[in-house]
Amino acid sequence: MARAQDAHSTLRALAKYGEAILEAHLRNGNRIPDSDDNLGLIETLEHHRLVWRIGESEDLQLKKVLVQFLDHITESERRRYASAQVHILWQQLSELFQEYKEAKKRSALSDIDRLEGEIKECLADVIEDIRNATEAFATYINTGFAYITDLHLRIRENERVIERAGRLITLFESFRIRELAEQAGSDAFLKRLLLRHLPATLESSQKNLSYALNQLRKMLVRMREDQRLSRMVGAFEAHFINNRGFEPSIDHLDLRQVPESLNTVAPFQIRGFGDIYDSADDLELIEIAAKARTVPADIEDKPVPDGVDTVSFDVAGETETEDDDPVEDAIEELIQLVVDGALGEGAILASEALAGTGLRIDKADWLQAIVSEIESLPDGDQRHIEVIYHQTPHWIYPDNVMISDLTLKHNHAG
Amino acid sequence: MSSPLFERTVTALLQERVICEVSDDELYNYLLLPGNQDAVNRFLGQINRTLRQTSARDAFVCAYLDTSDAETREAIRHQFRDVANNLEAFVQFLRLVMMLGANDRPVLPGDKLSEGAILERIAAAPALESKLRSLAEKKVFHTKRADSAGQIRAVLSSLEKMGYLKPVGTTGSLFRATGRWSWLYDAMTFIQAHEGIQATEDADSEQMRLH
Repeated sequence: MARAQDAHSTLRALAKYGEAILEAHLRNGNRIPDSDDNLGLIETLEHHRLVWRIGESEDLQLKKVLVQFLDHITESERRRYASAQVHILWQQLSELFQEYKEAKKRSALSDIDRLEGEIKECLADVIEDIRNATEAFATYINTGFAYITDLHLRIRENERVIERAGRLITLFESFRIRELAEQAGSDAFLKRLLLRHLPATLESSQKNLSYALNQLRKMLVRMREDQRLSRMVGAFEAHFINNRGFEPSIDHLDLRQVPESLNTVAPFQIRGFGDIYDSADDLELIEIAAKARTVPADIEDKPVPDGVDTVSFDVAGETETEDDDPVEDAIEELIQLVVDGALGEGAILASEALAGTGLRIDKADWLQAIVSEIESLPDGDQRHIEVIYHQTPHWIYPDNVMISDLTLKHNHAG
Repeated sequence: MSSPLFERTVTALLQERVICEVSDDELYNYLLLPGNQDAVNRFLGQINRTLRQTSARDAFVCAYLDTSDAETREAIRHQFRDVANNLEAFVQFLRLVMMLGANDRPVLPGDKLSEGAILERIAAAPALESKLRSLAEKKVFHTKRADSAGQIRAVLSSLEKMGYLKPVGTTGSLFRATGRWSWLYDAMTFIQAHEGIQATEDADSEQMRLH
């Protein structure tokens, strides 16, 4: 009684977690991830001894008995070995046709009836198995063998599936439907199965298989490349560990024939001026120019120097008197003296004039200020002044002259 | 008559960008058409440059047509030094990602990398935490942050700045790997052959099993 109760409880558990168990079987290689979400499922399956695992950190695996049961109810096994299954059925079909032929020769009517029925059933099985066989490959493509974590094992499984698909294609090509159809006699249903349904199923299955095979081959190429990259990363890692400070170099290579993988260009900026010579661009350029002059955004954040609390700007209309500059006054007075002709035929040396003012200013600045002041005079006044430069060529660069003083005198011709 | 896509494509190529489906979807699609490739190549050819595809054929790059000029060769050496200087850090990053994914496969263009998912895996495995710490000490990924989250962010941000990752969405924590990885693997393949770095299958598997 207790045993029956346990069995009932197991079946109820399978029903309760049916979806998760099927998911593990069909999509996850019979593995159940050890996560909080699966806590209830794992506890139940462990209680009913339907899962196993090696280490605590490993995912749980469905037990063989449960996998076999799932294989049966999902027809996984039948699909997996579909090529063998179809092959057996096809042989069976050929034998039935032989018997059928023999029965017809002997006019054994009841046997003919029986064999027709068996042929129909066998043919329907062949069609179904062909469909199932090709559908299985779509599952492999969709999962990408992701349930196998080890790349090497995944590659092996992919190779095995490609082999299986290849076997199935060879098998389909070996079918001689026409020969069988000729033996079908006058039975309309049999003829329809052999001449219409079977060829149509075969054609679409061959098409699907070819596509699947192509995808599986692409997947294999990708996986092999992944494996190559993975090994390369491993090799570099080991090399860096064994050769501390290793840094690859190509400094010794000539690089006249540079390998493609190294040949990449240095950044090359392409910039041009706005076309200010074409009036068609004027409007756009004006707009750009208007936006180009902007006040820096961070002006308000600039730190205020010590001792400057506030800055007050001029009020419109307000005037501020500026103190007189004694140097400027002295120069103006000197120039006015020369312009007015107060010196007569006489002349005055700029250095002597400076000494007379009592101002403490560098002589070079004084001379420069006098020349600037004269140059800023109106043309009429400028003509009344004659300036003689006291100059000597530079001792290293004779094209340059050194000014040591100025002689100013009134120009009567001006 | 100028073509905006042609201009953008050529400018991107000359700026040393690697054009792929992830980094520049529009430009990549433009370059997939043979006629457009010819137009770009005709232009580049006049300035001693040409269009190339990575060996995985998932990204386009610009290369020099003639490398006999000393200045060109120096530019190539300079580009190579950039890779060589940071190679150890990149290898460590790739190994870390392979351990996180537990799928024996390095980062490939189009792969998604989530800051949250990486953090979750690292929190569960102290060995990976020390790997991350060591990675964050490398010059190219350097950060002063001592926490795993800060270190992951620094590593991913550096890779984004270098064009190896492109952010997805607006969170700034989800990225997709670009075709620059393909180009890096091509460069690594050359270095491996040139420096005679042997890949031993057993050692490789052993490395993976240790973690």
